[in-house]
Amino acid sequence: MSVTDKTGAFSRLGDGPRLTQSARRQLLLTVMPVIVLAALVAAIAIANPNFLRASSIWTVLDSAVPLMILASGAMLVILVGGIDLSVASLASMASVLVALWIPALGGWAVPVVIIVCALAGLLQGAIHVVAQVPSFLVTLGGLAVWSGVALLASGASTIPVSGTTLDWTFTRVGAWNVPSAVLIAAALVAVFALVLAFTPVRRWLISIGSSEPAALMAGAPVTQTKIAAFVVSAACAGFAGIMLVGRTFSGAPTLADSLLLPVVAAIVVGGTAITGGFGGIGRTIVGVLIITVLRVGLSVAGVDSSYEQIFYGVLVIAAVAMTIDRSKLPFVK
Amino acid sequence: MAPARLGLAPPETGRAPGSPRPSRRPDRATILADFGPLGALVLLCLLFGFLSPQFATWGNVRNVLDSASVLAVIAVGLTFVLLLGAIDLSIEGVMATAALSVALLVANSRNDLDFGFMGVLAAVAIGAGFGLASGLLSTGLKIPSFMTTLGMSAIGIGIATVLFGGVQPALRSPELAEWASGQWFGLTRLTYVAVAVVLIGILVQRYTRLGRYARAIGGAEELALLSGIPVRRYKTLAFTFAGATYGLAGVMVTTQLGSGIVQAGVGQNFAAITAAVVGGTLLSGGRGGVLHSIVGVLIVTVLVNGLVLIGVSPYVQGAVQGVIVVAAVVITAWPLRKRLRVVK
Amino acid sequence: MNPDIETVEAEQSPGVPPVLAVRDLRKRFAETTALDGVTFEVRPHEVVGLIGENGAGKSTLLKMLVGLARPDSGTIELRGRRVKMRGIAQAGAAGIGMVFQEQSLIPNLTVAENILLGAEGPAVVGGLYRWRELRRRAQVQLDKIGSEISVDALTESLSFADRQLVEVAKVLATEERTNAEPVVLLDEPTSVLDRDETEVLFAQIERLRTRASVVFVSHRLDEVLRVSDRVYVLRNGRTVAECVPGDVDEATLRKLMIGRDLAGSHYDEERQLPAREAVRLAVRGLTVKGVCDHIDLDLHEGEVVGIAGVQGSGREELCRSLFGALASRSESVTMHGRPLNARSPRAAIASDIGYVPAERRREGMVGSMSVAENITLPHISEVCAGPLLQRRKERALAEEWIERLRIRTPSASAQLGSLSGGNQQKAVLARWLVSDSLRLLILDHPTRGLDVGAKTEVYQLIRDLTADGVSVLLMADSLEELIAMSHRVLVMKDGRVAEIIDAPAGAKPAPLRVLEGMV
Repeated sequence: MSVTDKTGAFSRLGDGPRLTQSARRQLLLTVMPVIVLAALVAAIAIANPNFLRASSIWTVLDSAVPLMILASGAMLVILVGGIDLSVASLASMASVLVALWIPALGGWAVPVVIIVCALAGLLQGAIHVVAQVPSFLVTLGGLAVWSGVALLASGASTIPVSGTTLDWTFTRVGAWNVPSAVLIAAALVAVFALVLAFTPVRRWLISIGSSEPAALMAGAPVTQTKIAAFVVSAACAGFAGIMLVGRTFSGAPTLADSLLLPVVAAIVVGGTAITGGFGGIGRTIVGVLIITVLRVGLSVAGVDSSYEQIFYGVLVIAAVAMTIDRSKLPFVK
Repeated sequence: MAPARLGLAPPETGRAPGSPRPSRRPDRATILADFGPLGALVLLCLLFGFLSPQFATWGNVRNVLDSASVLAVIAVGLTFVLLLGAIDLSIEGVMATAALSVALLVANSRNDLDFGFMGVLAAVAIGAGFGLASGLLSTGLKIPSFMTTLGMSAIGIGIATVLFGGVQPALRSPELAEWASGQWFGLTRLTYVAVAVVLIGILVQRYTRLGRYARAIGGAEELALLSGIPVRRYKTLAFTFAGATYGLAGVMVTTQLGSGIVQAGVGQNFAAITAAVVGGTLLSGGRGGVLHSIVGVLIVTVLVNGLVLIGVSPYVQGAVQGVIVVAAVVITAWPLRKRLRVVK
Repeated sequence: MNPDIETVEAEQSPGVPPVLAVRDLRKRFAETTALDGVTFEVRPHEVVGLIGENGAGKSTLLKMLVGLARPDSGTIELRGRRVKMRGIAQAGAAGIGMVFQEQSLIPNLTVAENILLGAEGPAVVGGLYRWRELRRRAQVQLDKIGSEISVDALTESLSFADRQLVEVAKVLATEERTNAEPVVLLDEPTSVLDRDETEVLFAQIERLRTRASVVFVSHRLDEVLRVSDRVYVLRNGRTVAECVPGDVDEATLRKLMIGRDLAGSHYDEERQLPAREAVRLAVRGLTVKGVCDHIDLDLHEGEVVGIAGVQGSGREELCRSLFGALASRSESVTMHGRPLNARSPRAAIASDIGYVPAERRREGMVGSMSVAENITLPHISEVCAGPLLQRRKERALAEEWIERLRIRTPSASAQLGSLSGGNQQKAVLARWLVSDSLRLLILDHPTRGLDVGAKTEVYQLIRDLTADGVSVLLMADSLEELIAMSHRVLVMKDGRVAEIIDAPAGAKPAPLRVLEGMV
């Protein structure tokens, strides 16, 4: 019998009421983000009715695409209870690599860069799982390493991309002038949604995130699932970096660095708990839209863009405070 | 741990479950932890001295000490947060706000304010305010510190960007400039500031409740709580103290640069974590201390300096630190691995 | 004096008022009664022994005495004043302290700091440490117990026995604060000490007696009889006896601990079929570093082997290592004659092994997932076509088992965490039964926290399984349950197999017989 066992008895006592509490919490986490999004859209529409025109809606959605792709992948890592702080830095690295390799590889640069990023994720995931090092630390180290790679490869300068190789990422298609990026992101999200809905993957993610010891004892493929989450997260980051190159016609070693906080903010604002075990792709879409619409709203309201970082900071802290499952954290470090 | 990401890992206290007869902790390991980093520092110096003739010159030693001074001040504060078992990712933001604040509060090119050293104090106080906010948010809302401090960093950078307003404030205060360039006994005055902060850090660590309780909390938080220690208060206090040192570091960078910029702290957060970890202040809390971290600061600074001297691109610095910190943590975490251990 | 107490030796309390008096403490956890009327008292300079089986309520009682748990009813009086403890720190301030089995010292602080942690008094002035004063005050405490441990030593560098002494010194430090002699609770203090260290501790207890009152909790009856002035026996959350060591022997105490033979019919002993000839699991020389030492074990088809042992005997570790949850070494472990390589629970499950953990909420189930999802989690491929989940098939399978095990749930998609403990446990069992290929089921306290009805259903299920040829390794809190359910009982002590006792239907060994090997 240890002291911890003794204190543990308290939490066991609280099980009864906590369940209803957790049900209420889950409902709140589902409804609140949607209400927030609707309210934001309504507020902006009242201030500026043009906001609801098809063209501006497409523009807003288009601008949300890199964030959406980054957040989709990073969400998986958060779902298993970890975090990936390296996504923005990986996207920057991908932008540099794709810009450097397009002259030689042409269109093949895209899959090659995504694979390189996936391997980077594999390395991070393997270190996290095998050496049992906290994920935030591994990916913080990764953040520094991938930034270094990007700086070194680019010589700390912006690398222009000429030619039409990446035009498909930033064009309009069809009669409605739909941005191609929106379609690509929609396809990606659909793949995520289908995999999560129709395969056991979601089961594994949720069980690991909610109760890793129970998942282990039930024989769920914990190691494989966790590593896979990091791989997919990194691959998505790489893809997002490529999409960014398509917009700016250049790769740069710090191109996506400022996206880390918006990504985390989008995921938690959407209602995915930072403690893991609760969340999904639908919530992430809502979260990404909230962040994007908020950014538009701030500019509509005439707020200087320098305030954006402050907003993200406050938003992340507030959203984490609201969504975190404190019953899982006896001691918060 | 967890926990929370660090904290989630079960506290490795007392005896590991399943070892009925705990043997004496091998003293060799303690010695390695305490003197290993020092040995590494000496080896590194010998290596670079051998590889580059410039390395062992007085000018370069001064360079190293000079560039180590800012990092040393940061590391002193960060050490207390790490002792708790928490982490601080707000350093860049706090330094940015402090840098802009001090640049706008002393004689400068943007406004007519001139509070002199009161301005410096104000910037340090602003840093402490950030730390207080991080501490209160972490303990009050029960949010893992890496999350609150990540948010606080963004807030700090945002405030600094707003203060910056597109026009760089240049310092017009000769007394302050004197602190950056003036020398005592061949070393810049800022080096002595750093030494003073390190000494204060050592005294705080050894002789105050803050220092001792931070170590106790990092050693075994639940036991500290059971012993009646007001854990939340001392955690918040540690963050506040750390914030003050980051504020001071922001001021130091500003005097060195001669103007206040948002990027004042870029790269320092990671460098400070790396320094602390390679010096033996573990991220799991309760181990190491100010002196350990300072040895780490010297290792990191010598490494950066030496690599530049032997012609390695300065762009790999960050990457080298990234590899070092992950490797250091992997090495310390390796013996603790268990099949059912949960690490998030 | 509580009339319910069966006083073996009618020891009338002498005129001395008790230091600590506990009256009729009761406590119910969610579905089980942990304490059902505990009454005892400790007089000045007395060593009181407290014994009872696992689950008799010893640890709950100790928790209450230091404020780690609160009683539902009943009173605790310290020196005649009724107290409500709110935590260890407060209990310490009132003069009652506990020496934990898993120690409560902070490893990276010095001995002096630990002894006075949180109660430094004049050793810390204005937030500043006065180390000399701190050391002096700590030294005073160590001198009380005549210990030569350096106050400047780092706590983690001490041996376990030395750390235990530091804990004692820490409790004694309350003496100055309260100006009264403290009550020292010793929780299984000898369980990890060797013979010499135990002797040192006993000498220490004799010394303590001169300046404190001591409560000595142990399952080693010989030790309790040796050091105690009086012994209280706890059974099923009640004090059932108060004895004086000179008048009772170990056998009497054991009988009191176990109680009258309650072997009811709900174990369905007549349904215990003889085990089959074929050996299913053969373990040779299994060693878990520091816990289990060269364990040999044969488990036949359709056989239940109960593993008896006190905490720390290594039985949990043995079972966990067979399931791959704990690293171990062995000469050979074979299933059906083929080597079993359980590198992980996942690998063990692939070898047709199932495991029902004792800590259901932590390891047994994912409370936020549905009943159906929990049932199919280990064998999810059974309800998949290729990579795709077949939800209809999953639902049908879950509903089949919900019906067969009579799991009371609103639906298969209700959150498992919202069910009662018994129904949760049935769902946890169901997850192993859905696979037709289950060959070995390891049950780690499968009836813990269940009410009598649910327990009976679990027993029935074990009988059904063995009739189908499944082999079972069973651990249980109550010896009675363990013996009734098992074909053979493997008694473990200090990481080794002490003996193997046959327990065929109709000729079950007495619990006393098993207990002898355990303690």
